Amino acid sequence: MRRSAVITGLGFITSIGNDRAAVGGSLRDLRSGLRRIEFFGNPSLPVRVAGTIKEFVTDSPSWRDWLYPPGYEFRHATLRSLSPHGLYALCAAEQAIADASLSPGQLSDGATGLYCASAGSPFLLHHNLSRMHAHRGERGDPLALVSSIAGTLNFNLAAQYGIRGAVCGFSAACASSSHALGYALDEIRLGRQERMLVVGAEEVSAETVLPFAAMRVLSSGSDPATASRPFDKARDGFVAAGGAACMVIEEAGAALRRGATAYAEVAGWGQTADGHAVGVSHPDGAGLADAMRRALADAGLQAADIDYVNAHATSTPAGDRAEAMALRSVFTAAGATPRVSSTKGITGHPLSMSGVMEAAFCALALRDGFLPGNANLTEPDEACEGLDLPRVTRDASPRFVMSNSCGFGGSNVCHVLRCVS
Amino acid sequence: MDLDPHCPSVSSPDQSGSAGCALLRHFPPEVRAAYLRFLVTADPSDADTILLSVICDHIPNKGALGGAALGDDVFLVAGLGFDSIALTEMVFFLEDLFQVSISNAEIIQVRTVGDLRAFVRRKLAPQPPAAPAPTA
Repeated sequence: MRRSAVITGLGFITSIGNDRAAVGGSLRDLRSGLRRIEFFGNPSLPVRVAGTIKEFVTDSPSWRDWLYPPGYEFRHATLRSLSPHGLYALCAAEQAIADASLSPGQLSDGATGLYCASAGSPFLLHHNLSRMHAHRGERGDPLALVSSIAGTLNFNLAAQYGIRGAVCGFSAACASSSHALGYALDEIRLGRQERMLVVGAEEVSAETVLPFAAMRVLSSGSDPATASRPFDKARDGFVAAGGAACMVIEEAGAALRRGATAYAEVAGWGQTADGHAVGVSHPDGAGLADAMRRALADAGLQAADIDYVNAHATSTPAGDRAEAMALRSVFTAAGATPRVSSTKGITGHPLSMSGVMEAAFCALALRDGFLPGNANLTEPDEACEGLDLPRVTRDASPRFVMSNSCGFGGSNVCHVLRCVS
Repeated sequence: MDLDPHCPSVSSPDQSGSAGCALLRHFPPEVRAAYLRFLVTADPSDADTILLSVICDHIPNKGALGGAALGDDVFLVAGLGFDSIALTEMVFFLEDLFQVSISNAEIIQVRTVGDLRAFVRRKLAPQPPAAPAPTA
């Protein structure tokens, strides 16, 4: 019999809340985490709204200036090699580890692994490289590399917790932490690890966000209440966000033996690539549809078994349309009508962390019995015809839910979670 | 970020010490005051005050000292838990603070607090003027 994995710990530093209770409340009430922002003190920039991180002050490149919520205690030696999103990740990991009741011994016994996803810290990278240029190569912060490059989360968290199992990072843009979760599931299924920490984190900095404005994929809206409107006819781009999410998954038998409480089972996953374009989804969503079919097959389910889909839909005209087409292909064509929503209407799009964050939202929904609605959805795009897109969060008792993620290069990842209560 | 009122905010950081004060903004006021005095007087005892505070700030394991004084015979690695990264980080800080360049060959000789104190004093000592070039 195949080994299975259950979710036993969650941690959140997100635009809609910095702990499980706050995030659950925001999902139920569709409370937005989006706020007005201004980069470089330049009001003429077309980016005016972001999913900001509250209770943290991390706009300095020096960790000595950072502020974070009470309740966290980190040594200077830990903070020195972190980027801002590394700090968020550490806080989310602290929450998830405490939630799962994992001891330091369990984290470092070799049976625990760590898979992470982030784009690194363009903010710190720019700061450090600018300094190097200014000094003609003669000056360099010794911790510049490990604090700013794309593997910074796995470097730092593995060292912090003494993790000796499988440790690595994933780089597939906005699908990255979904890949991390999928391969973490595989590690447990293959018997290589008993438990895995899966972490995604990003920063809301000019260096991270504005390159997306150059691609013309961000919303130009200035009203935080309406700028992110996935699946809506009037959507005009995504709203960038940041933060961190951490999920602990464990082999089900091991979790049971130690008396851990499971949120949900990670029942299956699938991934594909569009083989189409660098920066835009296949217009028919064919690759994403295949990823969903693979996830269903991996979980041993039919389309009709799925009660809810947490869509990737970021509020871009092309991406949402492609995902709607993919959902219709998988579900509508099979006579299935799961509820579909994108929580990015309230969170914004936190790039590589969105996959694990939204899978964690699904875990909360399964345990607590609700299905998030679509914030800011007034008039659905014609491409959504036949899809059940609830406007508000509803109480429900879902059995199986699905979470989608898509990234540059046409990477598509889909996870299926099963209720265990 | 507000600078300490002890530190001037002018456009010539190297001479005024504002860049150094910015680096020391999270240190106690007496350390920043010692830094400003040192820029004027080059008094080695002020350099000691600054250096000991910088060492304390960079100790990876704050509990290693156990409230004891930071004596000259305390080993940085074996006594205070410094590893190579923490040492490099501290050297980088000192280079920025005192506007000096410290090579790997130099720092590898430093093992104790006393070694580092002596090394920094030598590094910051006024350099003798270069000998005049021979004339034909």
